[in-house]
Amino acid sequence: MISRSLDDHMPSSSTSPHPLQRNLAPHLHPFQKPREYARALTAVKMDRMFAKPFVDALGGHQDGVYCLGKDSRRVGVVAGGGGDGEVIVHSLTLRRPLLKIPHAHKGMVGGICWTSESHDGQRGMITAGKLDGTIKIWRSEAFAPGIRDKELFQGSEFASGSGSAGHQQHLDQAGAIGENGLDMDVDFDEEEEGGGLNLDFAKRDKLGESLEPKMVYTNKNGLNGIDHHRTDSVFATASNTVQIWDENRSAALSNLQFGSSLETVNKVKFNQSETSVLASVGNDRTMCLYDIRTGKAERRIVMQFVSNDISWCPTLPTTMLLASEDHNLYTFDIRNLNSPSQIYKGHVGGVMGCDWSPTGEEFVSGSYDRTVRLWNRESGKSRDVYHTKRMQRVFDVTYTPTADFVLSASDDGNVRIWKSNASKKLGVVSSKERQAIEHRQKLVERYSAEKGVRSIKDRRHVPQSIHNATKLKRDMIESRKVKEDRRREHSRKGREKPKAERKKAVIVEQK
Amino acid sequence: MDALLASAGPLPTKKQNYKGKQSSTYNKKSGPTSHQTIPRADGSSIDPSLHSILSSTRIPAGFHQSNLASGSGSAPIKPDSSISRIQDKKLRSKLARQDVTHKQAKSDRQDVNEWLNKAISGDKGGIEVDEELGEKTWRVKQSEISDSVGVGSKGKKFDLKFEGMGSYKVDYTRNGRYLAIASSKGHVATFDWQAGKLHSEIQLKESIRDIKFLHSQDFYAVAQKKYVFIYDQNGVELHKLKQHIDPTHMEFLPYHYLLATVGHAGYLKYHDTSTGVMLTQIPSHLGSPHSMAQNPHSAIIHLGHANGTMTLWSPNMTTPHVKLLAHRGPVNGIAVDPSETSAGRYVATSGMDGVVKIWDGRMWGKEVRSWHVRNQVTTLGYSGMGMLSVGGKSGVTVYRDLHSGNIQHTPTPYLTLPLPSLTASSVKFCPFDDLLCVGHEKGISSLLVPGSGEPNFDSNEADLYETYSRKRERDVRGLLEKIKPELITLDTDFLGHINESRGGETFEERNSRSYRQLGRLERLRVDGKADEPQNQLEDEDEEGEGEGGEGETTQKEKVKRKMKGKGGSTSRYLRKKQKKNIVDNSLLAMKAKVAAQKKAEDTRRKIAKGEIVKETGALARFG
Repeated sequence: MISRSLDDHMPSSSTSPHPLQRNLAPHLHPFQKPREYARALTAVKMDRMFAKPFVDALGGHQDGVYCLGKDSRRVGVVAGGGGDGEVIVHSLTLRRPLLKIPHAHKGMVGGICWTSESHDGQRGMITAGKLDGTIKIWRSEAFAPGIRDKELFQGSEFASGSGSAGHQQHLDQAGAIGENGLDMDVDFDEEEEGGGLNLDFAKRDKLGESLEPKMVYTNKNGLNGIDHHRTDSVFATASNTVQIWDENRSAALSNLQFGSSLETVNKVKFNQSETSVLASVGNDRTMCLYDIRTGKAERRIVMQFVSNDISWCPTLPTTMLLASEDHNLYTFDIRNLNSPSQIYKGHVGGVMGCDWSPTGEEFVSGSYDRTVRLWNRESGKSRDVYHTKRMQRVFDVTYTPTADFVLSASDDGNVRIWKSNASKKLGVVSSKERQAIEHRQKLVERYSAEKGVRSIKDRRHVPQSIHNATKLKRDMIESRKVKEDRRREHSRKGREKPKAERKKAVIVEQK
Repeated sequence: MDALLASAGPLPTKKQNYKGKQSSTYNKKSGPTSHQTIPRADGSSIDPSLHSILSSTRIPAGFHQSNLASGSGSAPIKPDSSISRIQDKKLRSKLARQDVTHKQAKSDRQDVNEWLNKAISGDKGGIEVDEELGEKTWRVKQSEISDSVGVGSKGKKFDLKFEGMGSYKVDYTRNGRYLAIASSKGHVATFDWQAGKLHSEIQLKESIRDIKFLHSQDFYAVAQKKYVFIYDQNGVELHKLKQHIDPTHMEFLPYHYLLATVGHAGYLKYHDTSTGVMLTQIPSHLGSPHSMAQNPHSAIIHLGHANGTMTLWSPNMTTPHVKLLAHRGPVNGIAVDPSETSAGRYVATSGMDGVVKIWDGRMWGKEVRSWHVRNQVTTLGYSGMGMLSVGGKSGVTVYRDLHSGNIQHTPTPYLTLPLPSLTASSVKFCPFDDLLCVGHEKGISSLLVPGSGEPNFDSNEADLYETYSRKRERDVRGLLEKIKPELITLDTDFLGHINESRGGETFEERNSRSYRQLGRLERLRVDGKADEPQNQLEDEDEEGEGEGGEGETTQKEKVKRKMKGKGGSTSRYLRKKQKKNIVDNSLLAMKAKVAAQKKAEDTRRKIAKGEIVKETGALARFG
């Protein structure tokens, strides 16, 4: 006979949890799959319900923002370059500008990057002018808020920080300042001169206006892009050739060009693993690979359309991503440049910027069609699309180094902060909650092939204009293909062979 | 640059020609690279850096599931064969991975459960007697059992006597903690039988035909004279379900929140108790049903009818899923086996013809077992461990191990529970306890049936010791996980499987796709250039044998046989006769007849063709 003791099944004390007995045999858990499916459906609905990707817009620019410079080793700081030559260093944690440099360049800013000093507080910002052809290195204490240990700055050129031992608690290597710092920064504002966490906007503006670049290089041609070497004090710029500069020398170290091509180069990027390898995209529809040790252009491909941006995958060193004017993105394995390894379709305007997430599994792209899209490396369709009414054409995007957020710079003069996962909860998540979230994710993944779940999961509302453009584009492509089919039907057999989509993108590979 | 390439190594050899071409150019330019190939005996070579960059990692096969104690690993888990038919490579690998993980988790779960819940003795429990001495378990009386069990179990045997209240129906909640009783003359009571705590007791003063708990002990539905009413645990009437007229039987599907009722008119009605909306009503066209049961594993409703048929219903079909002639008289008892070995597969029915039958839900053609019982059976019930109780006039008989032993013979009862001069109107085994509750004309009796209940309950599913807060949690979760009624299917394993017919595309849709919209393989197939691997062809052949292939060949033969003049009875007769070398008159006459027919046919054809002109004048009648 079954005989159960209450002692085994009742909590031992008033505060202890209720004891659970488990029997995992399937006959005691009927309808396992339908129930799991119901749960998956709830999960995917919750996911869409909580999808609020927009975090904040960082304003302050007088003109559109055309380039972003993230410090890949610091979470909380990003610089935006405006169309009027203004450069603003934003703090993502404080959500306000740390420093405004109103006349950094005459005319548009072409690119921004950060130097590679190992200490966060010492890193400087390099900006390149698109029209005036100058490169400027800026150094200020304001770039590293919260880092005010006197010893750290001794010997450095801006040892003006007047921090005291009492402020040590705000030392934050990551540049992220918590609530604590936000509350207290007003208190020691008075003691500071210049940099630091000054909330006094007038003071900050004054500092920005009076800030002089530590170094100025001049170039005959305007500069469209700039990127810094990962470790060395070397950076590369893109004008009509790719130039390599040393931070401590006023003239370029070398000029890199493929053959005698003098076409405009749009963007240049260093590889993050094999740090001397460099890739550029140019106006002549090319993507070119260089090695700065040999000082030679190694290889080049000519594509159907011009690429606007380029990005190296941080984890797969041979994988690169091109943002093309033909609305698509392409990943290439540089061991096989004949064809892209994957085409990513979804935008309905030229793709202006792209950036990998730190894990190399995902990336973000911003387009002229006023949307930001997020992608998985493995799939050719976008995972999510972000847009707002007020966001205009997007010119640059970056992932933050923690992969939590995505930043977009657009024509309307704002840098927007988006969550990289639209429905992710910000703030502290308890382990129980995290488990529940992970369980829900897994359920959605498992049933994502089912129609009910899939339609909720994949459905995205996009503005009317983009919706219409998508439809139009689809029709155009379809009719083009139908025409091609018909032509093939009526031509001699074997004359016109269908060409794979991936083969179409690259015209020729040159060595 | 080269260092980067070298550190990365060459691409996996997807395309043979690429590898050959490219690697030679690399080497020409840069000389030997840092990685080296390992030559093998057969002339080929392995490149160790071939997979230097993998997008995903996996545990080496040697570490899978190996038993560290014995050193022997079990057979590697393989993905479902249907997955290999998926053409999209990425999807295929993703699903295969998912499938393997799932199977792995399943086997792990089994292991854990074995450790947790398997009885140490390996025995199912129950009464054991010395068979050799001629002792029989069915001779053991209730008094003997209650004398030999502990004090805690002894208290579980009780009788509630209500004289002159009519026959009683009983129902347990899913955890077996609460009991609801209803007499045919209007007495209703719900109580916590273990604590002896009465929740509600009402006298409705009209005839009651059935009572059922809803999703928890807080609500119960009563099939009264005219309508179905819902009461809460204090006996307060909450709802009158006017659409359910003249109800005779009720079932509640706890995971779907559906109350299924059937009345004298024979309409099966599904009512959603979470939204209060009537889902559907289906006419059974078979009159007032005599019995009703639900399959707890598939939520299919079984109805037993007066003409001896049993029908299986779901709210999604207006016709029964299965309709079978079970008995030669009205079917008055149905029960579905919920135990581990059956999991809703075995169904027991009893008829007025005095026969009890066990059916297998996978094959309804013939009953698995059937036997006659002497007393007239009125009701059936299955326990959590698969014991069948057969209630009828003057007592209840309990059977066990119905699927073992000689299934041709009448099974020996496990226990007989006599109820002198009473008829059991309802028998219910208490879930997770060794009890059988019998409702009869003089109240109810809770009887001890050792080994009938599932000993190990699951707190997350049905908690015997549920606290107030956990019940609240369960109520909310239950509603969140409410299963859509569309998912009630006869085949419970239907959901989450790969649709073999290309994602629900109909035949027309598939055929109307233009050449351009076809996939590469399909195009090649259309062009007749498909270079399909051998095994795939074999697969298709196998499939063909299953459905189309053989049918086609027989069809061809049929066509051949149907050719004119071959299959006719006359010519067959002639062919047979001709084989024997005998001349007889009837054969000659027949031959002449056939020749004349042939000639007539010939001329008719020629006339139709215009080769000869038909005589139209007066001479035409002479041919």
